Amino acid sequence: MTLGATLRRVRVRPRMRIRELVLLASVSMALVVGWASLASHVAGSLTLGRQFSHLVLYLGAVFAVHLAFVVAGRRTDQLLLPVIALLGGLSLLLMERLPQGLATQDMGGVELGLASLQLLWLGVAMLLVAAIAIGVRSDGWLRYYKYTWAAVGVGLLLLVFVLGEETNGARLSLRIGPLQGQPSELLKVILVVFLAGYLADNRTLLAQASTRFGPIKLPPVPYLLPMVAMWGIALAVVIFQRDLGAALLFFSIFLTLLYVATRRASYVVLGGLLFVGGSSVLYFVFGHVQDRVDIWIDPFVDPLDRGFQIIRALYAFGRGGIVGTGLGAGLPQVGESLAIPAVHTDFVFTALSEELGLLGGFVILGLYLVIAERGLRIAAAADDDFRALLAAGLTLVIVLQAAIIAGGNLRVFPLTGITLPFISYGGSSLLANAIVIGLLLALSDRGPERLAAPSAGRRRGFRAGMRAVGGRIEKVIS
Amino acid sequence: MSQRPGGAPSIASALLRVAIAIATLYVALGLGASYWQVVEAQRLTNDPSNPLSLAAARSAPRGRIFDVRGRVLARNVKQANGESIREYTYPVMAPVLGYKSLVFGASGLEKTYDAELAGIRQLTPGDEMLRKFRARPYDPQDLVLSIDLRLQGRATQALGGNRGAIVAIEPTTGRILALVSAPTFDANRLIDPVEGRAYLKSLSEQPASRSPLLNRATQGRFTPGSVFKIVTAIAGVGSGAIDAGTRYQEQPGEEESGFLIKGFRVRDGHHLFTGGEPLDFLQATEVSCNVWYARSGLRIGGPALLDWAGRLGFGQPIPFELPTAPSIVTRGEGPGGGFIDEVELANAAYGQGQTFATPLQMALVAATVANGGTLMRPKLVDELRGANGGVTPLGPSAMSQVLPRGSADLIRAAMVQAVEGEWGRGFAGGARIPGVTTAGKGGTAEVDDTNRPHSWFIGFAPAEAPRIAIAVLVQEGGFASERAVPIAGDLMEAYLKLPAE
Repeated sequence: MTLGATLRRVRVRPRMRIRELVLLASVSMALVVGWASLASHVAGSLTLGRQFSHLVLYLGAVFAVHLAFVVAGRRTDQLLLPVIALLGGLSLLLMERLPQGLATQDMGGVELGLASLQLLWLGVAMLLVAAIAIGVRSDGWLRYYKYTWAAVGVGLLLLVFVLGEETNGARLSLRIGPLQGQPSELLKVILVVFLAGYLADNRTLLAQASTRFGPIKLPPVPYLLPMVAMWGIALAVVIFQRDLGAALLFFSIFLTLLYVATRRASYVVLGGLLFVGGSSVLYFVFGHVQDRVDIWIDPFVDPLDRGFQIIRALYAFGRGGIVGTGLGAGLPQVGESLAIPAVHTDFVFTALSEELGLLGGFVILGLYLVIAERGLRIAAAADDDFRALLAAGLTLVIVLQAAIIAGGNLRVFPLTGITLPFISYGGSSLLANAIVIGLLLALSDRGPERLAAPSAGRRRGFRAGMRAVGGRIEKVIS
Repeated sequence: MSQRPGGAPSIASALLRVAIAIATLYVALGLGASYWQVVEAQRLTNDPSNPLSLAAARSAPRGRIFDVRGRVLARNVKQANGESIREYTYPVMAPVLGYKSLVFGASGLEKTYDAELAGIRQLTPGDEMLRKFRARPYDPQDLVLSIDLRLQGRATQALGGNRGAIVAIEPTTGRILALVSAPTFDANRLIDPVEGRAYLKSLSEQPASRSPLLNRATQGRFTPGSVFKIVTAIAGVGSGAIDAGTRYQEQPGEEESGFLIKGFRVRDGHHLFTGGEPLDFLQATEVSCNVWYARSGLRIGGPALLDWAGRLGFGQPIPFELPTAPSIVTRGEGPGGGFIDEVELANAAYGQGQTFATPLQMALVAATVANGGTLMRPKLVDELRGANGGVTPLGPSAMSQVLPRGSADLIRAAMVQAVEGEWGRGFAGGARIPGVTTAGKGGTAEVDDTNRPHSWFIGFAPAEAPRIAIAVLVQEGGFASERAVPIAGDLMEAYLKLPAE
C-alpha cells in the first residue's frame, strides 16, 4: 500500500500537539546548552562552527517531524518523539567530539566524517519515523504475511552469511554498492512481527498445556515447532556470525513475548535453563565466547589485550563520577589513539557517562524507561492481541537492547557488540530503531479516524477538515 | 483487557509484570553505574595504569616541586610543539624526585604524587564533585619537600665517584633532610623525547650492582657489619637480656683465640689494647667488640632479636613515599623462618650473618635512639600547595614506640662513647663535631674475600637534643674510619651550622 493511497483515504485535519511541542522545546534547550559546553571545552570558545550548524539542522528535522504530525492530525503518542530527539541529539553531540575519521564515506565526491554521517542517518531516521507514524493506517500487511516476513528475515541472514563482510571477527555487514548495512538490526523487527502474528493466532492453544514433559507442561508439539524453528534458525545463524549481542537480544525478546502471550512462567524457566545450558556449551566450544566471559569476570587478567577495552571503560566511568566532566571535557583520546576502542559504537554509554556523570547516565537509562512505559501502555491499550503483542515486542527491541549494551559497558553483563539505540553510530541501527518508533507511534493512534474507512464523501470531508469548522460536526457527519 | 473467550490469559496483566521486570533490570544497571562512578571512582582514578594522568600531563600544567627553603627542583616548561615537558633544576635530586616521562611513565616522588601533581586528585572529596564547575578543572598541587638542597648537594659531593648512599633524618619528626644514592641518573636526559630511549637503554644495560637506576638508599640491601650492633643493643636492652653491667668473663681470653661456637670461630683482635678486664656494654660498643656482641646475641636468642628488629622496621618494606626493599636479619632458612643455627645468630648479632639492610633502615635505627626510643615514620613531603593558595600540611606520625626513654638513653650513651670515648675515637672519632656531643657507630662490613669491605656509619647530633640522624654507606669503601665516619661528621657539622634563613 503506497503512502499516497493511504493519505487519500483519510481525512487530514491539523491537531495541535502542545505536550510534544513543549517537550521538544526543552530538549532543544538542553541540546543547545550541551553544544555550548562542548564548544567551550573543545574549541575553547563559543564559535558557531560546523557543530552548531549540525545541531540546527538536526533540530530542524525534529521540528519538521513534529509539524508533520500536527498537520496529519493523528492522535498519536506525544512523548516518544521528544525522547528519541534527546537521545539522537546526545548522539550527535558525542559524534561531534570524537575523531571524525572513525567513520568516513564518500558521498558524491564529498568526504563525510563521523558527525556528518550520523547527522545524515539521524535525518533519514526522522523521516522514516514520520512516514511510518503518519502513513501506516493498517496493520494488515504485517498481520497477514507473517510467514513471508519470517522468510524474508531468514533470507536476509543467509545472504549475510554467504556474502557478508567480516569486521572484528564477526560476519555482520552486507555491502550493496556504496552502502553497507547490518541486516541483523532489521531482522529483530521482522522477528517481532512474526512472533506477534504467530502468538496472536495460537496463544490460546499455546497456553493450554497438553503435552507433559517431565514436570513441565508443554503445548501441543505441532504448534510449538514453527516458533522453535524460527528461533533456532535465527540463533544458529547469529552464533555462526559471532554476533552474541543479537543472539541474546533475540532470545530474550522471544521468551518475554512468549510469556506475555501465554502467561506461563514455566516457559520462561524452561527457556532460561535452555539458555544457561546452551551458553555453557558455547563457552566451551567457542573461544570468543570464552574470552567475553573471562574478561567479564575479571578484565584485569589480561589488561593489555582482551581486557583492555573494558578496563578503559571502567576508568572512564570512574573519571565521570557523579556529575561528570562536562560535555566535551572527557578523554575519548589519549595521544593519537582512542582511549576506548569502538567508543562510537559499543561504548557510547560509557563516553556519555564520563562526560555527563552518574546523573547523566541515569537520565539516559530513564529515557529508555520512558520508551518502555509508553510502549507497554500502547500495548495494553491495543485493540487486539496482534497489536498488543506487536507493540510489546517493538518496545522490547529497544529497551532490552539498551539494557544489554549498557550492562555490558558497566560489567553487569558480559560485553557484546550491539548498539545503544539512537545513540550509537550507525545507519542500520538508527533506521531499524526508527521503524520501531514509527510503528509504535502508528499503533498508539487513539483517534476516531483510525477505524473509519469512509469511501463516500471523502472529498467533502477533506475540504471540511481544511476549513476546520470543528471536529464534532465532522464526527457526526461521518 | 479482560479474559478472552477461549481461555487465553489476559495480556494486560502480563504486560504489568514485564514492566516490573524491566524496571528491575534498569535499577540493576543504575546500581552498577553507581558502583563504578561513586564507590570505585576514586580507586579507578588512582590506578597507576590509568592513561588519564598521562593525558592530563599533556594537556594540563603540572605542579612544581620545591625544597624546604623554596628552591625550585622540578617544573614544567613549554616546548616548541606546545607540549609541556618536565625540567629538573638540580641533578642531585634525581634519587628523590625520579622522573616524569611522557614515554616511560614516572618514578620516585613524581610517581607517588603523580595524581596530586597533575591535579586530578583532590584531597577533599567534596571538592571533587564541583570540579566541572570551576574555570580550571585541574588543580595541580606543588610539593614542598623536607629536603634541604644544601645538605643534599654536600652529601652527593661527599660520595664523589663512589657507589653508596646517604640518608639524613630529623629524628623528632621523621622528615628526610637528604637522601642520596650514587651513582644516579640524569632525569633531564631520561625524559628527553629524542635521546631518552637510548639513554634508558644504556642505563639498564649496566649490571644491577652498578645500576644508576637502583635507589641504593631505599632499595639497596647491604651487609651492615658493626652498625647492626645498635640493633642488637636495642633488642638486648629492650628485652632485658643485657644491661649496662653485662660482662662475659671468657671475652678477654677469646680476643686472640676467637669465640668458638659449634666449630665456627668468631674472630676479633682489633682491640687487644683493652686487656684482660672483661668489657661492659658501653666499652664493648665503644671498641665494637665482636665477641661481646656474638655472646649477647646468643643470650638474647633468635626470636627476640627478630622481634625487636621487626619493631625497627626489619622484615617488611618501610612505609615511605618511595618504594622500599625490606631489610632482613636472616634469610629465614632455619626452623620457623628463623636462624639456621647459633652460628648464624651469633654472626647476625654483629651484622655479619645473613643480614642485609638498606641505608634508610639503618638511618631509622639511629633516629629511633636519637628520638628517645620512638620511631617516626620517614617522610619527604612537608606540604601540598594548590594553585589557589590552599595548603595541605602532611604532618609527622609515629611508626612505633620501640624503647622506653631510659633504655634509649643507655644506648645513646654507648653511641656517644663510641665517638667521643678515649678508645672510641680511634674508630669513629672522625665523626666528632667541635663543640657538639656526637653519637654514632661505625661499621666495616666484610662482603667477601676479594672485595674491600663496605664502610658504614650511623649516628646523630647533638647527642642531648638531636637535630639530625644520619646513615652513610660507601660501598667497598674500606674501613669505616677511613670513609663513612668522616663523611658523616662533616655532613652533620655542616647541617648544624647551616644558617636557618
